[in-house]
Amino acid sequence: MTRLTSIPGLPPLLACLGILVVWELLARWYGLNGLPPASQALPQIPHILSDKESLIDMGESLRRMAIGYGLALLIAVPIGLWMGRSRYAAAFFNPLMMVIYPVPKAALMPIIMLWLGVGDASKTLVIFLGVTLPLIYHSYQGSRAVEEKLLWSASAMGLGGFARLWRVVLPAALPEILVGCKTGLVLALITMVTSEMIARQAGIGNIVFVSLDLGAYDTVYAMIVIIGMLGILFDVGFEVLRRRLVGWADSPHTIMVGSA
Amino acid sequence: MIAIEGVSKRFDAARDRRHLALNDVTLSVAEGEFVSILGPSGCGKSTLLYIVGGFVEPTAGRVLVKDVPVRGPGPDRGPVFQEFALFPWKTVLGNVMYGLQQGGVPRAEALARSRELLTMVRLSAYENFYPKELSGGMKQRVAIARTLAYRPNILLMDEPFGALDAHTRTGLQNDLLHIWDKDRKTVLFVTHSVEEAVFLSDRVVMMSSAPGRIKQIFDIDLPRPRSRAELLLDRRFQDYVVEIEKMFDDTAQQAPA
Amino acid sequence: MNAVRQWSERLIGAVPIIGLLALWQAIAMSGLAPPALLPTPGVVFARFFQQLGSPAFLDHAAVTLYRLFAGFMIAVVMGVTLGIAAVGSRAFAAIVTPVVRVLAPVPKIALYPALTLTLGYDDASKIALVIADAMFPILLATYQGASAVEPKLAWSARAAGVSPVRTLFTVVLPAAMPSVLTGARIGLIISCIVVFLAEMITSTDGLGHLLMRAARNFQTVDMFVPLIAISMLGLMLNALFNLVRRRLLRGFPEEK
Repeated sequence: MTRLTSIPGLPPLLACLGILVVWELLARWYGLNGLPPASQALPQIPHILSDKESLIDMGESLRRMAIGYGLALLIAVPIGLWMGRSRYAAAFFNPLMMVIYPVPKAALMPIIMLWLGVGDASKTLVIFLGVTLPLIYHSYQGSRAVEEKLLWSASAMGLGGFARLWRVVLPAALPEILVGCKTGLVLALITMVTSEMIARQAGIGNIVFVSLDLGAYDTVYAMIVIIGMLGILFDVGFEVLRRRLVGWADSPHTIMVGSA
Repeated sequence: MIAIEGVSKRFDAARDRRHLALNDVTLSVAEGEFVSILGPSGCGKSTLLYIVGGFVEPTAGRVLVKDVPVRGPGPDRGPVFQEFALFPWKTVLGNVMYGLQQGGVPRAEALARSRELLTMVRLSAYENFYPKELSGGMKQRVAIARTLAYRPNILLMDEPFGALDAHTRTGLQNDLLHIWDKDRKTVLFVTHSVEEAVFLSDRVVMMSSAPGRIKQIFDIDLPRPRSRAELLLDRRFQDYVVEIEKMFDDTAQQAPA
Repeated sequence: MNAVRQWSERLIGAVPIIGLLALWQAIAMSGLAPPALLPTPGVVFARFFQQLGSPAFLDHAAVTLYRLFAGFMIAVVMGVTLGIAAVGSRAFAAIVTPVVRVLAPVPKIALYPALTLTLGYDDASKIALVIADAMFPILLATYQGASAVEPKLAWSARAAGVSPVRTLFTVVLPAAMPSVLTGARIGLIISCIVVFLAEMITSTDGLGHLLMRAARNFQTVDMFVPLIAISMLGLMLNALFNLVRRRLLRGFPEEK
C-alpha cells in the first residue's frame, strides 16, 4: 500500500480511473438518457481534437484567456505589493475590493457586451476582471508579510522606494504571489468557460451548449472532460513552475478558490 | 501496577535517518508509588510516558497495567501535559466536565464533581473563564482537575510544571503533593529538574540519552507528608539532590546535547 | 490618535468607491454614452430600491437564496465530514486525497450542462453545482486545519475514555474550527457567485435569470439591479458569517 502510493502521479491516475469506472457503472445501472457511459463519450475526444473548427475555437479561447491573464498580472501584482507596504494604499483599495468581491465577474458579460460588442474585447475584459482580485489579494498578503528588517537593510544600502519594491519586496513575496497566480489561472479558465456559456457566440463554452442543443450528449461530456483536463493540466503545470521558482520556500497550504 | 518490559522505540524519519529513542527499558512501579523519570532532553523520557499512556506504540517490548497489556489510551491512566492541552473553545468548567459528559455521567452529577475539583485546585471563581484568559499556573491546575475528574488510578505527568516560572512551579508542586496525599494514586512524573524529582518522589529513575536507557534508580527515603520549608534544611534531601545532580551532569555531558 | 487614524483610513477607503460612482455619473451625464447603454447611478439605485418593494422581485431573490443556502449547507456538511474522516482514517485519506487532487482544479461550471441533463433544469442541478463548487475549499481547509491540531488535545480526550470517532467530532473538529470557518467563508462567497451564474446560463427564475431577461429585452437599468442585489447579498452574508464566527471562536486567541 505505502509503496504503491509513494510512486508520484500514480494515486491521481488511479483516482481518474476510479472516477471513470464510477461514471460508467452509473450510466449502465441507472440508464439515465442524459448520461451516456464513459466508454461512449471518451471516444469523442479524439474526434473533437482533430476537428479543425473546434480546434480553432479552442485556440481562440485560450488566446483570450492568456491576454486577460497577462494583463491582470501586470496590473494586479504591483497594486498588491504597494498595498502591502503602504497603509494608505491598503486603506484606499480594501473597501473597494470588498464591494467588488461578491460580484460574479462573468455576470458582467451581458453589460460589457452591450458596450464592447460580442467580440474578443468583452471576453478578454471579463477574464481580466475575474483574475484581478485574487492576484491583488495574494500579492498584498505576500508583501505585507515581508520582514521589516529586510527593508531597513535595503534602505541602508541606499535603495529608493521603487527599487525596494522591485528588488526586495517582489522576490520575498514571490511564493505567496505564485499561489495567487495559480488560483488566478484556474479562475481564468473558469471565467472563460462561463462567459462563453453566457454569451453563446464562440469558444469552448459555446461548443458545449451547441452540442447540448443538438442533442449530441456524447460530445457534451467529451467537452466537459476536455475542460476538466485543461484545469488539471494548468494546475499541475503551474505547480511544476512554482517548485522551480520558489523551491526554497515551504510548500504553502493553499486553499483553492474556485469560480468567478 | 505498571510493568514496563523491554520497551524500545525507533523513529524512522527517513530510510537513512533512524533514531533509536528508547532502548530496552524495563521498569516496574508499585501501586501508590510516586516515581519520577529524570534525564537530559532527548533521552526519550516523554516517549516512555506516552507509551505507558497508550498514545504511542513501542517498536519492541510491552507495558502491562494491572497485568493487562496496554493497547491504547484508557481512563485508568490520566495524562497531564506540559502544554496543558486544554480545549480552547470550552470554559474552565466545560473542560473539566468534558470527560464525564462523554462518559455518560448525568449532567447534575458531572457538574457537582467538576465544581468540587475546581474548589480543590482553588479555581471555583474562574469556572466561566476561557483558558486563554488564565495564567500558565491556573491553566495547569485546570488540566489537573480535568484529568482527576474521570478518576484515573495512574497519573502520567509529562513535565507538567516545565513551562511555569519558578515561583508558580513550587506552588504547584506543593498543591500536587497535597492532592496526592489524599488518595495516593500511582504517579509517573517526567521532569528534568533534580530538585523537583527528589521533593516529590519515592523513587527517581535516571535516564541517559541516545539511545534512551535507564542509568540508575535512586530510592528517596524521606518522610511524608513532606514540607518544602523543612526539606530544604534537611541534610538527607540535600545529599540526594547533590548526588543525583552530579550523576545528571555526567550523563548530560555524554549526550550530544 | 487611534480613532483619528481609523477615521482617516475609512475616509480614504470611501474615496475610490465614491470616485467610481462619480465617474459613472459623469460619463452618463456627459452624453458620451446614451442612457440605453449606461443609465445614471441615481436611476439604477432608485430602481433597485423600488424593486426591493416588489413581491415578484423578492420571489426571485428568495429562489436564489434558497438554492444558495441549500447548496452551501450540504457543501459544509459534506466538506467537513469528508475532511475530518480523511484525518481520522489513513485508508480513507488514501482514497480521498488523490480524488480531491484530480477534481479540485476542474472548473466545476463545466459540469453544469451535465447536471442539467441528469438532474433537470430546476433547483436540483443548480444546488448540485453549488455543492460541487463550494465543497472543495471547505474540505481542504477542514483537512489542513484538522491535521494541524495539537495531538495532545486528542490524547486528552482519548485518555478520558472517549472513542476515536467521538474524539474526531468533539475535539479535533472544534479545534480545527478557525480553519474550517476560513474555508466556509470562501465557500459561501463561491456559492453566491455560482448560483447566480447557473441561473444566468439556464433558468426560468432567480436573480441571474432576471439579469438575462433584462439583457434580452435591452432593459439596461434592470440589468444592473440583480448585480447590485447579488453583491449586497454577498456583503450581508459575509457580515452575518462574521457574527457567527465571532461567537463560535470565542475561546480562541485573536488572529494576528
